[in-house]
This record gives sequence, C-alpha cells and structure tokens, in this order.
Amino acid sequence: MTDNQPEPLEQLIHDVNSKCASLKSAVQLLRNASDDERRELLELMAQQAEALVKIIVEYKNQQ
Amino acid sequence: MWYLFAKVVSMTKLKILAIEDDQLFRKVMASQLAGHTVDFAENAVSARKKLETGNYDLCFIDLKLGDQDNYSGLKLIPLACSKGIYSVVMSGHDSQAFIEKAHELGCNDFYAKGNEENNIGQVLARFCRRKEKSKEENVFKEHFVTEDPATKATITEALKYAPSDLPILILGPSGTGKTSLARLIHDFSRRKGEFVAINCAAHTEELLEAELFGYKKGAFTGANETRKGKLLLANKGTLFLDEIGAMSLKMQTKLLKAIEEQTFYPVGSDAPETSSFRVISATLEDLQSLIKEGRLRFDFFQRIHGLTIRLKPLSERKDDIFPLISFFTRQGRRLSFTQEAKTELLGYNWPGSVRELKKLADLLVAGDEGRVQADTVKRLLNSLRPEEGASGFTTDEQYRFALRQGLNEAINRFIDGIIEKSLKAHNNRKYATMRDLKISSRMLYDSLRRLRVALRPLRKNKKQTPAVSINPANIAPTSGSNDTKAEEKVVV
Repeated sequence: MTDNQPEPLEQLIHDVNSKCASLKSAVQLLRNASDDERRELLELMAQQAEALVKIIVEYKNQQ
Repeated sequence: MWYLFAKVVSMTKLKILAIEDDQLFRKVMASQLAGHTVDFAENAVSARKKLETGNYDLCFIDLKLGDQDNYSGLKLIPLACSKGIYSVVMSGHDSQAFIEKAHELGCNDFYAKGNEENNIGQVLARFCRRKEKSKEENVFKEHFVTEDPATKATITEALKYAPSDLPILILGPSGTGKTSLARLIHDFSRRKGEFVAINCAAHTEELLEAELFGYKKGAFTGANETRKGKLLLANKGTLFLDEIGAMSLKMQTKLLKAIEEQTFYPVGSDAPETSSFRVISATLEDLQSLIKEGRLRFDFFQRIHGLTIRLKPLSERKDDIFPLISFFTRQGRRLSFTQEAKTELLGYNWPGSVRELKKLADLLVAGDEGRVQADTVKRLLNSLRPEEGASGFTTDEQYRFALRQGLNEAINRFIDGIIEKSLKAHNNRKYATMRDLKISSRMLYDSLRRLRVALRPLRKNKKQTPAVSINPANIAPTSGSNDTKAEEKVVV
C-alpha cells in the first residue's frame, strides 16, 4: 500500500475527507472558544477551505 | 480490583504524541487533549525522532503526512509499537484496506476523523481500560508472582485496602513474600512518602528504639550525630515492621503511643517529632500464643491488625515454582529442566519457601549445566543450607531466642535439641550419639542434665528397655560416667 503511489482519486478522497473532518471538529470547538481562540480558529478554517479548493482544482487539472 | 486501577489511571496525566500535518487539526487535538502533556510532530522525520527519544504513553498517527506524502504514517506504527506506545491511527480515509493494514502493522486503535469530541474521549477510555487490565495482570507477573487462585484472591483483597489508612498484619512462614506484599500495598496506596522497613528481630531493644525513634547527638555512647528514626522517615508513607513478635513489651508500649498520637520523642531529645504513617506489620509467629504468653500486648495487637492477611508457604502452592523460577531468571540465563528434575522440584517441601527457591535458582544460573538434571537439583537442595553461610544456618527463632535469653542459653538449647534428636534416632544409645555427633561424654551428660533426663544403665535384655517417655522426677546423677564403650540407653 505504501510502496505504490495511491490512485489520484483515492488521494483526493483522503485529502478532502481529512480537511473536512478538521473543519467539522473545529466548528465544535468554536462553540466554547474564547474571542482570541475563535479568531485563530476562523483564520485556520479559512486556510483549510482554500486548501480544499486548491486540491480539487489540482485534481481537475490532472484529469 | 478493576475499579481501583481505573481510579489510579484516570488521575494520571498521560504523555501523548500527535503526529499530524494539518495545522487546524493539531489545534483541534490540542483542545481535546487538554490536561495531558501533548507533543506534536508535523512530519515523519520529526515523528520518528520523537518516538525514538520520547517516553510516550500514547500516540495518534495521521496516515498521510503532507499533500504529496505516500501514507508514511503507516511506517511509523511498528516503531511506536516497538516502544510500547499505544498507537492510534486516525484518518480521513477509513477504507477497509487501510484499517486492515494499520492493524496488521500493530496499531491498537483506528478511527475516522471528523468527530474528535467523541472519538478522542473514547480512545482515551479504551487506552485506560487496557492499561488497567495489564496493570492487574502485571501484579501477579511482575510484583507478586503467583498462579495460585487463593493467593491471587488474598493479594487482590489486600490491594483493595491499599489506599486506606487501615493497619495491615501479614502472617506467614519465613520466605513467603511478606515484605514484597507490604511494598506492593505501599505502591498501590498512592502515599507520597517512602516505604520504610525495619526487622524488629534484628536489633536489641536499645538499638531498635534508636532505629525507630531516632536519636539526638550524644544521647548514648556512639551517637556521634543526630539521626532521624524510621518513624520520621516513614512520614506520609508506610512503616513496615517485620518480625513484630520479637519486639519487647516496653518497645510495644512506646510504639503504640507513637502510632496513636503520631508524635514521639527521639532518644535523648526533649523536642517531640510528628509523623503520619501507615503501619504494616508481619510475623511468622502465632500472635494469639504470644498474647497468651504475655509477650504481646493486647492493645498493641489491636492497633496493628486492622486487616489480617495470611500468605501460604510455597509447599502449599507448588504451581508457582516454575513461574517463580522464570521470574527470578528473567533478565539472565534461562533454565530448562528435565522431567525428573521437575518432579524433584515439585516433590520437595520447600521449608525456606520462595526465598529458598530463589537461592536454588541463583545457584542453577551460576552453574554450567545445559539442561538441569534431577541429580543437580537434589545435590543443590541438600547443600543449600550449609552454603548459605553462618547466618543462613541460624533460624529467625534461634536468633530471637538468643536476643532474649543470651547467646549461651541459645547455644545450650541448640546442643540439647541436636543431642535429643540423635538419641531418638539411635534408640537412646549414648555411645552411638557421641560417635555420630563427635562429642565428649561431658557434653552429652551436661546436655542430659539440662534436658532433665533420667539415665539408666543399659539393660542387656532389650525387651526390658522402657519405652521413650519423659519423667522429670527420675533425674539420675551423671558424674563419673565411663560410657564410651558401654551401650547405655537413655530414657527421654
């Protein structure tokens, strides 16, 4: 499994799932976060969303 | 016992490594794992370094470490496992192939990312349950080795009371593991102080007082400096009083006061010391008999016997012989026995219990035999006691007797015991006894006088020889006996 490069689609699924999972868990954190923490979390979540878009675009370009 | 371990582990601050490339996810994990010591590794290189050097309880491993990474997290699983770290794989891609591969590589847990609030809590709970279980199994594999169900039940029961202040009295023959159990109870007590042990039979009354209570410089000849006593050293910990039956009544009174008031005066000092300690006592003697004989104060006995534990000698739990040998040799040369040698070991009575077995294992390990034969076992068991040296030749009972009555009395008693035994073995023939024991007639008759044994000239007709019986009234004078040739019989 680690010896061969995974299929692009498989890789995309993994990456999208992982990043969405982070966003989902971060949303849970937001509820009880302090103002400072909330600002930091929102910034990281925005970066995550951008990374999501990027990997989808990259996949699309590869096809 | 499970609830006890659960409580201990739930209070433990875990050391955790989270291997995760995603910054947002690291933030999530830091929040979910608050309260524990958490280290992060962002890539495989840093993770490998931390796994090699850090002493982690648990690690979370993301499978894919970087956008172009080829699931290098998988390769970290064997390393984490080899370090004894509970390995948890977390992945955004929980396909069956990945789950199987991760478990194949040795991971302990696998979860799909996305609900960290629940997932991480459940992982920690599973880890704690596993740790509790292995701790429970460890007690009987690493701390008090036994496979005997009754002994296991006794230890388990004792450990339930470990966190309490209840005094504990451990009874059992010499070498059964009374000190090991006392230490184990202390280890499970969560007391911050030390485990401090003292053998009450190993000191004279004055020395025992100085050892227990400490002394001030100049308190007595040889007290060149002020010294803390065991009572003070055991503050917030456990004071283990071994061979409690050997303690004098005067010392019992002093110690009782110190235990009840948690305050005492070191020898030669006017300033009281305060110490809060838990008392665990042990003895091989029958304490009820000591109370009846007036050698043990009833109030002192009441104070030390909150919970009484009886340990079985090795002769009553022979299934423990081979697990114990395995334990004693675990970090060195391992032993293998022929079937006959095993039979020999299982047939032996083990008067010195586990301590004797340990000595045998040490001798066998030091030997050069590939597979241990029955003859070797026999020979070593026979020679074990003399090879122990002078102190091994003396029993605890003899030593205590000498402390109480003086060495001369103890020597006489020892001589009398041997002579009496030899006379019985030779059907009361004095000459045979003197020959076998290589003693003079004077020694024999001195002993017989002490034994208050009536002597009679040998009757030629054996049928007229009276049966062995004690009759203190018939003490015959023993002077001027020329008995080296005459075969006399002694009625004992």
